[in-house]
Amino acid sequence: MAATTATIQPARPLGGQAARRLWRAVGRNRKATAGAVLLLFFCFLALFPGLIAHDSPTAEIYGRSMGVSAAHLFGTTAYGQDLFAQVVWGTRQVLIIAFGAGLASTAIAAIIGVTAAYLGGAWDGVLNLITDVLLVIPLFPLLIVIAAYVQNSGTLVLITVLTLTGWSYTARQLRSQALSVRSRDFLEAARVRGERAVYIIGVEILPTMTSLLVAAFLTNALYAVLFASSLQFIGLGDPNATSWGTMLYWAENNEALQTGQYLWAVAPGVCIAALGTAFALLNYAFDEIGNPALRPVRKIRSKRVRPARS
Amino acid sequence: MPDDSRPELLRAEHLTRHFKIGGALARRTLHAVDDVSFSIGEREIVALAGESGSGKSTIARLLARVYKPTAGEISYEGTPLTRLRSRRDRLRYSGRVPMVFQDPFASMNPVFRVSHGVLRSLKLHRPELSASQRDAEAARVFEVVGLGAEMLHRFPYELSGGQRQRVGFAQALVTRPKLILADEPVSMLDVSIRIGLLNLMAKLRDEEGVSILYITHDIASARYVADRLIVMYAGEIAETGPIEEVLASPRHPYTQLLLSAVPDPRAPLHVAAETDRGEPPKVIDPTPGCRFRWRCPLAIDVCEQADPVLKDLAPGHAAACHVAQTGAEVRAFSA
Amino acid sequence: MSDPRVPEPVLEVSGLSVEYVLDRGSVRAVDDVSFTVGRGEFLGIVGESGCGKSTLLFAIAQLLAPPARVDGGSVRFQGTNLVGLTDRQLAATRWRDLSVVMQSAMNALNPVKSIGAQFKDALRAHGVRRSDEIAARSAEVLRMVGIDSAHLRSYPHQLSGGMRQRAMIAMAMLFTPELVIMDEPTSALDVVAQRSLMVQIKELQESLGFAIIFVTHDMSLISHFSDRLLVMYAGQVSELGATRSVFDAPRHPYTQGLLEAFPSIRGAKVPLKGIPGSPPNLAIIPNGCRFHPRCPMAFDRCSEQAPDLYERDGSLVRCLLYDDAAAGSATQQAGGRADA
Repeated sequence: MAATTATIQPARPLGGQAARRLWRAVGRNRKATAGAVLLLFFCFLALFPGLIAHDSPTAEIYGRSMGVSAAHLFGTTAYGQDLFAQVVWGTRQVLIIAFGAGLASTAIAAIIGVTAAYLGGAWDGVLNLITDVLLVIPLFPLLIVIAAYVQNSGTLVLITVLTLTGWSYTARQLRSQALSVRSRDFLEAARVRGERAVYIIGVEILPTMTSLLVAAFLTNALYAVLFASSLQFIGLGDPNATSWGTMLYWAENNEALQTGQYLWAVAPGVCIAALGTAFALLNYAFDEIGNPALRPVRKIRSKRVRPARS
Repeated sequence: MPDDSRPELLRAEHLTRHFKIGGALARRTLHAVDDVSFSIGEREIVALAGESGSGKSTIARLLARVYKPTAGEISYEGTPLTRLRSRRDRLRYSGRVPMVFQDPFASMNPVFRVSHGVLRSLKLHRPELSASQRDAEAARVFEVVGLGAEMLHRFPYELSGGQRQRVGFAQALVTRPKLILADEPVSMLDVSIRIGLLNLMAKLRDEEGVSILYITHDIASARYVADRLIVMYAGEIAETGPIEEVLASPRHPYTQLLLSAVPDPRAPLHVAAETDRGEPPKVIDPTPGCRFRWRCPLAIDVCEQADPVLKDLAPGHAAACHVAQTGAEVRAFSA
Repeated sequence: MSDPRVPEPVLEVSGLSVEYVLDRGSVRAVDDVSFTVGRGEFLGIVGESGCGKSTLLFAIAQLLAPPARVDGGSVRFQGTNLVGLTDRQLAATRWRDLSVVMQSAMNALNPVKSIGAQFKDALRAHGVRRSDEIAARSAEVLRMVGIDSAHLRSYPHQLSGGMRQRAMIAMAMLFTPELVIMDEPTSALDVVAQRSLMVQIKELQESLGFAIIFVTHDMSLISHFSDRLLVMYAGQVSELGATRSVFDAPRHPYTQGLLEAFPSIRGAKVPLKGIPGSPPNLAIIPNGCRFHPRCPMAFDRCSEQAPDLYERDGSLVRCLLYDDAAAGSATQQAGGRADA
């Protein structure tokens, strides 16, 4: 065979092909499809809130505590703000926190977890100690303390606080996974041919863990949503921001449930739950996609066994 | 022991590697390799054969500098490896003495194309090449190992086991090696595919002038490609010499046992009346004495007391056995 | 060496096919396999990776799990078709008359239970309840395989690899079955331990009289112990005959290629070739004979007509060279095709 001098395609990872396979996998898995649709719906709300809710969320110009009507789909708050607009516009902040904290804590968890697994020895010991200490400290009280210290935490502060306290759990997971691939021959081959540790961790190990990284991101995003809303609910967020958590704060302050303004509390609450469910469904689906053994076994209806041939 | 007719590439002297095992309260030492000395010359294939626990894989990793020796020294072209301090020196050594791994399904990163390892090796070891020169060189080595250049942009899952092992050899070849450490390169391949890889190894020795340390548990394949044979047992060398001579007249009882157990479809298997039931020991905190003595029908008193030392019994053919060294004819297990 | 015409069949496999049902369609891992095993006979099933031998074994032992399923044919054990029986119906036969030895004892034995406890589980599952009977039988089977009965108290990880495999075989002997199916029980062992285990198995067989189906990829090892040999390729039987006959005069070009791929430690050193190419992807099987793309003796019809099993000198061969009707045109072209 004649040697060709055509340029060889650079050894890029399976980018396009993996994306297509992922798309198909999501489509075929019911949980994944449901979760994806839900998440996309919320993303749409966050990107184009004006298209859905025409009123301003903050203007206190409407009648107070009005019920459900054509003009106000969810009614109004005790301050005369349109509830529907608040829910829709509040999506943006929640998603920003979810994606922001989710991505940041996953990134930190990946770097620390995989480095600890790869380097082993003393490095592993030190990084593990840090991880474990953070893991053991009760997360929510810690969050409260920090958030209370900072006072009136805006979006960025919330993301930072959530990231710093949230990376430890997934760092453990990613470390375990990295430990299991550490002895794979292709990593030893990389070491033996002289690659540096940073290269091996970043280029050789992390790309093989993509499904776990996505799962970690979804977990962290889910917890970011829940914890951020909880902090805002107890008043540690910026009460003037438009967010589901702050809506709950004001609803609580005005005794919404006791005074019959149910939607004020229920609407943001349901949204928080729905977004959380979206992340959780996608998480399950990724588990199943990554590990076929977890897929639901559909019983194969046994055909009538054909009689043996000659 | 060393074959004086050809220039020496690599020499191991009194190479020892121990591992600490057990918890903090019950510290014990596993003797994976003990006092092993041998050399490898240019343009030769040396087979390092042994069963599990013999230490052969540990030796490969010692030579590849994955482990540091507990004692003893390895020299490459006269320079001890401990003198390789700078990253450049170490990189140069790993280019001259690369390793090929056993498992074709784990030796390549599944997310990259098969050209990845080859191109990375070129970038690291031959930085003077331009990108197009690298591409050309990658295509060249792929042709040498019997894969077409068009294979370069495939992914590992598209290749068969035999093809993947060829990629492993290509990755080793691209750094212009003098000695390839092949750690059981064909053990996980189907029998009909093995021959192709073994023929490739012989071709690399003959046409590319590369030496190979062929680590295996399969003596028959060792015979097919190797010039010399080193038989290991329980971390020590039992016997070594030109391969045809060792196979024709094995001096160490373990070598005889090993050869008698190798099945040959063309010859009837002589099943000895008392079949050896033992297995190679895990050498943990050993007492002095020959490590084969429990399975050896010829063991004498000195075998319990002193470790046998490797001594020449014929030119270039040495065995570490007290009984053989007394000059007596050793016939422990008939083939 | 027993006669290939089996007078007292213990197992009759007829037209057995197994398919894997996947998202994009199904793949036939075993295609229309038929053979019989007589009382006390040692049948070796050999083949390379992807030939379907392990799937075949699992199908016979009724251990297939979705997405694999039997797609056709029957497995008659002592007259009863095992295909389609429920686990409860199979329980009576399992281990009493038909037992299975797996490839890796470390995977098949429970690592947190002692050997004795696992024997006890098996014995009690089949109605042996008295502890003195259990102890006696457990010690007896261990003795049969050359293990001291003190090891009943040992855990699997405390035994060496060879001993673990022997313990697996002892467990399979608990009820002196009629047929023992073994899936590569020697692959994880070193060559010396392999030989002694095979000798042990053969001795047991000769003293207890059970039949064995032994699946392996190591042809040279099995050649010294089996009575008959079945060579599989791409899910089909490609050759079946008395072992010595298959080795001394292999008929199928695949068998010939396989035997020529074994380097020998005795005798002259000759350059060998192996078989070019690799086994077909079972989702895309070649037209005609499945082996023809790699066959040095292929002729025109091989790519069009799928060969049946033809009989020749007491062996069965799936090759058009032995189809007497095609023989005429074959001899004109045989040996003309150069291999890659």
